Amino acid sequence: MSATDTSFPRAADPYRVGHGRDWLSAGGRGGGYVHATGHGEGGPASRRVIVGYGFWIFLLSDIVMFSAFFAAHAVLQTATAGGPSGRELFNLESIALQTGCLLASSFTCGLSAVATEVRNQLWTQIGLLVTGLLGLAFLTLEARDFAGMIMQGAGPDRSAFLSSLFAVVGLHGLHVSAGLLWLGTMMAQVFVKGFRPDIMRRLVCFNLFWHALDIIWVALFTIVYLIGLGR
Amino acid sequence: MSHDTDTRGPGDVGPGFMDATGVTVGEGIARYVIGFVLASALTAASFYVLDTSLIWGPGIPVALVVLAVAQIGVHLVFFLHITTAPDNTNNVLALAFGVLIVALVIGGSLWIMDHLNERMMPMQEIMQMHR
Amino acid sequence: MFGKLTWDAIPWDQPIPLVAGSVVVLIVLAILAWVVLKGYLPYLWREWITSVDHKRIGVMYTLLGVLMLLRGFIDAIMMRSQQALAFHAAGYLPPEHYNQIFSAHGTIMIFFAAMPIMIGLMNFAVPLQLGVRDVAFPTLNSTSFWLTATGALLVNISLVVGEFARTGWLVYPPLSELPYSPGVGVDYYLWALLISGVGTLMTGINFVTTILKIRAPGMSYLRMTIFCWTALASNLLIVAAFPVLTATLGMLALDRYLGFHFFSNDAGGNMMMFINLIWTWGHPEVYILVLPAFGIFSEVISTFSGKPLFNYRSMVAATMFICLVSYLVWMHHFFTMGAGADVNAFFGITTSIIAVGTGVKIYNWLFTMYGGRIRFTTPMLWSMGFLVTFTIGGMTGVLLAVPPADFVLHNSLFLVAHFHNVIIAGVVFGAFAGITYWFPKAFGFRLDEGWGKAAFWLSLLGFYVVFMPLYVAGLLGMTRRLQHYDVAEWRPWVLAAGVGIIIMICALACQVTQFVVSIRRRDELRDDTGDPWHGRSLEWATASPPPPFNFAVLPDVRGEEPYWEIKQRAMETQQLSPEPQYQPIEMPRNSPTGFITAFFCTMTGFALIWHIWWMVGLGLVAAYGVFVWFAWREVVEYVIPAEEVARLDRARRQARERWLAQHARASEPA
Repeated sequence: MSATDTSFPRAADPYRVGHGRDWLSAGGRGGGYVHATGHGEGGPASRRVIVGYGFWIFLLSDIVMFSAFFAAHAVLQTATAGGPSGRELFNLESIALQTGCLLASSFTCGLSAVATEVRNQLWTQIGLLVTGLLGLAFLTLEARDFAGMIMQGAGPDRSAFLSSLFAVVGLHGLHVSAGLLWLGTMMAQVFVKGFRPDIMRRLVCFNLFWHALDIIWVALFTIVYLIGLGR
Repeated sequence: MSHDTDTRGPGDVGPGFMDATGVTVGEGIARYVIGFVLASALTAASFYVLDTSLIWGPGIPVALVVLAVAQIGVHLVFFLHITTAPDNTNNVLALAFGVLIVALVIGGSLWIMDHLNERMMPMQEIMQMHR
Repeated sequence: MFGKLTWDAIPWDQPIPLVAGSVVVLIVLAILAWVVLKGYLPYLWREWITSVDHKRIGVMYTLLGVLMLLRGFIDAIMMRSQQALAFHAAGYLPPEHYNQIFSAHGTIMIFFAAMPIMIGLMNFAVPLQLGVRDVAFPTLNSTSFWLTATGALLVNISLVVGEFARTGWLVYPPLSELPYSPGVGVDYYLWALLISGVGTLMTGINFVTTILKIRAPGMSYLRMTIFCWTALASNLLIVAAFPVLTATLGMLALDRYLGFHFFSNDAGGNMMMFINLIWTWGHPEVYILVLPAFGIFSEVISTFSGKPLFNYRSMVAATMFICLVSYLVWMHHFFTMGAGADVNAFFGITTSIIAVGTGVKIYNWLFTMYGGRIRFTTPMLWSMGFLVTFTIGGMTGVLLAVPPADFVLHNSLFLVAHFHNVIIAGVVFGAFAGITYWFPKAFGFRLDEGWGKAAFWLSLLGFYVVFMPLYVAGLLGMTRRLQHYDVAEWRPWVLAAGVGIIIMICALACQVTQFVVSIRRRDELRDDTGDPWHGRSLEWATASPPPPFNFAVLPDVRGEEPYWEIKQRAMETQQLSPEPQYQPIEMPRNSPTGFITAFFCTMTGFALIWHIWWMVGLGLVAAYGVFVWFAWREVVEYVIPAEEVARLDRARRQARERWLAQHARASEPA
């Protein structure tokens, strides 16, 4: 049934807000409101929708947390305290490489989701493995950049600008690391337990998480690195 | 509610669900490929814009932000399967709420702190005065 | 081996915290010993500690909140008595101890008293009012609770091991930075709040999902009770605001632990950024606390006026308006920072505007009472006390919203009186209204009305005697957080506030007596119908206490006040609706996940505070282990057989039939 189903007697309650009086005689569970989709009038949503939606809310809260770090970086990016600025520190090549790795991993993660949809164990595992390896490559490059900066004496304790840089990029890196741990357990779960509904739900959540990390990276490389380089 | 059964209620999807419109494997892969190509192109454009003389210098940050927003849109549509269909209303509303909060946190902080910087002596000078 | 932790961490030379701490430790040990010796431990573990039932978790949250309310109140007594004594004198609390007390008072009252009570009441009532069996993520719910308990535990450990922050309840830098607060006090604060903040965030996610995705059939948005609406608004704000708190405190922790320079004096740090970010969380937090209380008052006033809530839709609109605008006012907490006229004007105006939403609500409550047949029960008295007192607090708030006035009153006792005026009248009165209102639902018997009313009148009187003088003292220029003072004009007002706190102590004694007396007289106060107040919303449709599955059959909702309509129909036709076909019900199994997670979080938090790095590592590895173990659970649900459901529901129906027979000819139920 779709939201545009016209079999529902609209006249009694044209805006479907539940204040019409005719629903008393409409009969059936929920007085006919099962037709109003997407808002739970038909009783509790399926477990799959509940889990997906809950995780979606979590991701939004996570992005709000990032926004606080972005705000701190935006405010503190000129506070170099005589230390090096972004122009002197950023390695554009490495950043492009990291961006490529993460974008490709998002893509392979999506491909594994397609394989999951048709319950193909082999391709799901391959997709997840490649995703993980690309994520690992991303982390390695990022760690190398960080180590290089710290060696040059441009660690987070040098200036407020560098503090905010290390914090916002490092927080993203921490998320990727946590994602990799999660990815490992997901591969094991898919392998041992197969495509049970609960495993499928977790895979959907993992996919959302991984794609969201890439979205945050888009904001990161644009605002922190590219715009920072132009400064 | 058990993990053995999982009905897929009509007309209500969670975020990231591909089965909303009943796509086949080919369509699923095609969607990710399109998304990947678009996102790659936008990323490349971002890195290209940085050093280009095509755009007026001070406009470059604006161009970069526009490209980033476009790319985030591509990710949302092709990777996260967020659509404007009625069954996605709740997901989109939640997203809109999140975007609003992000805008308030970043915009508000910048506005307030800019005022502070404009109206107060830089911290360095204050510290030097205390010495 | 143990980082910074040595025997010197215990304050041997300070008798007051040492004695207080020892007494608390002894009481806790005594209770534990009693539990173990009586053989209650398996029961507690099975039925409460590992419970994922939203009703049990709600009760535990509320209990934690009430205990911490007592702890915070003891701090308040110490502060009032110190100020009463410390005129031209040192008083009995040394400054470093006094500073810890006012910091702990604010931290505990907001994070570990007000928040748990409000979240507890939401936990208890929201799924019942939505007509469903549990929240979206029951095990996560249990984890949220135990993480909150972890935070409360860490703050209380600081009483005996080490010290608490001396920086005020929001640890403003640069005072809270390492050079100026080298002790572990701020670290206790940071880790207690970071850990419990994660718990609160998960609660927010859980409840937003529950309210938006899990409701009884037919329960459209505009058929939800106002309490569910305010819970939705409050949890949306949790989701929007608590990540900012986590981020801000995380940055301060990075400053203190890894030498970052977010808020430091040197290397370009900007302390105002902390104050900006913490209030980005802080102002929505005020509404996170007070919105559920508004919901409770709505339920209580409607029930005891015997009328549907006046202008339900404008109430919904006002709730969502407050939800949104509360995220647009944070800068009024630091007008004195010295921003320009346009920033100050913007935030001054939004602050004044938010009072409009609250004003709409006040009028709605008044018009609900207008023409109603009001029953002056304890919850209703709390609500009416709230209406008057909160309006005064709101007025002084609008005064403070005017930036020039704020420059004069900032950080004075006028401000202190204002926020106590709104928080005590809003949140504390709301908590007591909610607790007395839903207590019979949770336990099957009412609280004693006599002691409850005594507690209300003494609280109301005590509140005015404490805080009205503080308004005056603030206008006379007395600032907050003074350990001692020598201005003679302030003296009488401070003494008056000291008298007020004695009245508050009497009120508290009445509260405790109320619980003791009610538990002893529970057989007289018992209610077996499940509807002791002649209520209107779905929680009163089931038994008291409700069975684990809440409703044998999910109610079929056909209006704004579904239970009221069911009840009216039953009274008209003199019979209950026909007995349904009972089905077996699947419920989530109990799980120790939450408790174990909290155990390792307590360990990690404590280790971080004292720089015991091996223990930090151990805690993190254990956390990952718990995650994997939880992911590998096979059996997540158990089934309640149809016969058991039928037995429980038939018992409820029999009680309802007796009730119906008693009211056979009475047009108006008692």
